[in-house]
Amino acid sequence: MDTILLADDDIELCEMLKQYLETEGFQVGMAHNGKDSLQQALSGKFDLMVLDVMMPQLNGLDVLRKLRKNSLLPVLMLTARSEDVDSIIGLEVGADDYLPKPCNPRVLVARIRALLRRAQSHKQNENAVDEPETLTVDDLVIHTGSRDVFLDGSPVAMTSTEYSVLKVLLRAAGHVVSKSDLSEQALGRALSRYDRSIDMHVSNLRRKLGPDTKGEERIKTVRGIGYQYTYH
Amino acid sequence: MHSLFWKIFITFWLSLILFAAASIVAVSFYLEHTHAQQDRETPRNAFRTHLESARTIAELEGREGLVKWLQKLDRSEAIPYLLIDKSGNEILDRKISSHQAMRLKRHLQQPDSSKRKQSWWHRGEVKLPDGTQYRLVPDFQGATLGRALSRPRVIAIPVLVAAVISGLVCFLLVRYLTTPVLRLSEAVRQFSDGDLGMRVRPSMGRRKDEIAELANDFDRMAERLQELIRSHKQLLNDVSHELRSPLARLQVALGLARQSASREDNPELDRIEREAERLNEMIGQLLSLARLDSGAVPTNLVTVDLETILAEVVDNADYEASALNRHVRVSKSSPVSVEADEGLLRSALENVVRNAVHYTSEGTSVDITLSSMEKRQNWIEIRVTDHGLGVPDEMLSGLFEPFMRVDDARDRESGGYGLGLAIAKRAINKHGGEIFATNTSHGGLMVSILLPVTQAT
Repeated sequence: MDTILLADDDIELCEMLKQYLETEGFQVGMAHNGKDSLQQALSGKFDLMVLDVMMPQLNGLDVLRKLRKNSLLPVLMLTARSEDVDSIIGLEVGADDYLPKPCNPRVLVARIRALLRRAQSHKQNENAVDEPETLTVDDLVIHTGSRDVFLDGSPVAMTSTEYSVLKVLLRAAGHVVSKSDLSEQALGRALSRYDRSIDMHVSNLRRKLGPDTKGEERIKTVRGIGYQYTYH
Repeated sequence: MHSLFWKIFITFWLSLILFAAASIVAVSFYLEHTHAQQDRETPRNAFRTHLESARTIAELEGREGLVKWLQKLDRSEAIPYLLIDKSGNEILDRKISSHQAMRLKRHLQQPDSSKRKQSWWHRGEVKLPDGTQYRLVPDFQGATLGRALSRPRVIAIPVLVAAVISGLVCFLLVRYLTTPVLRLSEAVRQFSDGDLGMRVRPSMGRRKDEIAELANDFDRMAERLQELIRSHKQLLNDVSHELRSPLARLQVALGLARQSASREDNPELDRIEREAERLNEMIGQLLSLARLDSGAVPTNLVTVDLETILAEVVDNADYEASALNRHVRVSKSSPVSVEADEGLLRSALENVVRNAVHYTSEGTSVDITLSSMEKRQNWIEIRVTDHGLGVPDEMLSGLFEPFMRVDDARDRESGGYGLGLAIAKRAINKHGGEIFATNTSHGGLMVSILLPVTQAT
């Protein structure tokens, strides 16, 4: 059974969400302030954290920033609706996905499941079902078995979402992958309207990987269609 | 207290006195100068000297020389000298006073009287080589104030000095008065343009007059207005924020209700969910509006590919609209980059396009064009045209106000919130652009967005 950490300062909301998620078959822990959330998230007991941006003491973004120094725990951020800045910063700091709050709990559960599936496929499926493979494009190497990414021989830390996006792009290196395909294959959900998460993950990847050997952008934007990993 | 009153009063008063005094001094100086001349040489001697010159010149240079000489003499002498011929005409065509004319007549009537020899008339005879006779006559009565004033060289310098000084004084006074008034009106303009932090008192320095008081009053008013508007907006913002928590709980409670509901389909719960979603949407829009109104200038300006953003917005909108049997299409586009806050610009476009989808008739499409403007260099225009019923002309400018409703019945039916265009207008204005609506000839509404571009490629 998957264990989820709910980090939100609205205690009533947490209680209800806990009940809802438990009915859906999750185990749920709660934290109501930033410090507590960070501590529990680092305890290793949880498979995923649902993190509210607005929290007293240490806000959600700070929690995420500190968490990402030590852990790649999948994080789903709850942002205030229409505060695009929060969601963009959240994805930049390393959230795997975000959802504007107030949100429909059904959507929340769907997102949680998608994130968990992605994270678990790294842990088990790659070993069991798919043959572990090594994808090499120019100076970039990823081992799908161990989820390791090497750039010019040195490892690059990535969240599971970033890794998934990169893997999909690398498998299709040289071809354009549409945003909706990318969303379905890497995030495990259909591209919703006005959704910018794919763009943010790609821009994170660009930042982490830097320009290619020729000094050009590794992941090209193909206007109106999607993205393409270029190789030489 | 009334320092401005006294400043104006005293300045005008002093400059008038100055001017009058300068004129009086100049004229009296001139007249005294004339008297002094007359003291030095008696009129008789002066007359003799002038007569001798006249005779010599008449002999040597004739009539023309005489005219020139007399003109020159007239400029330097306080007393006018006349040269009159037998028929009573003056050589420079000056008017002869009736008194002089009478004397001339008398002289001609009694040609040989002994008195005649004593008179100026007899002695002042000047003969030209051709025999024409003139008489040089001093016109003592002609030495008037009017004559003094009409001598430009005599009067010009003092008058000029007075004019320059009083002009300078008046210029400084007027500038002293109008500069702060202009500053004040500039401040009022900026204030009404939305710069609520505008204050004028600091720019007035140490002034303590009526204008400074006016500036103080303006600042007090601005302070009060700013506070009112701020608290009004703060309230709206706080309320919207606070509404979110119960709404979030409502949605989870709804989820729990669904979990425990016996049936899968439950129209009441569906309805609650729909209304909660609508409420959520509205709160989101209210918050965007509040944020845009807070006066914050977009800080994260980046070069944005407008064509791509527009294409994405249109794709999304078309996807949504197709469910309602409406379409959105870009009929004309060109690659354009603008310096903008991408999120803000995107939301502006989304709101305008969504609004158009809302009001276009079923089965029609919303047409969008993106092109550079002909009239203004480095500006682009985005036109979003729907095929709906349009808007009464007098309502057009009000469309961009929050919660503007054109037609209550229709709006309720179509479910417009009246915030989308208000958000779009504020977002576009933040980018230095303009947005306005016009009715098209076929009855639909066209919203035009004008934006300055960084480089048109």
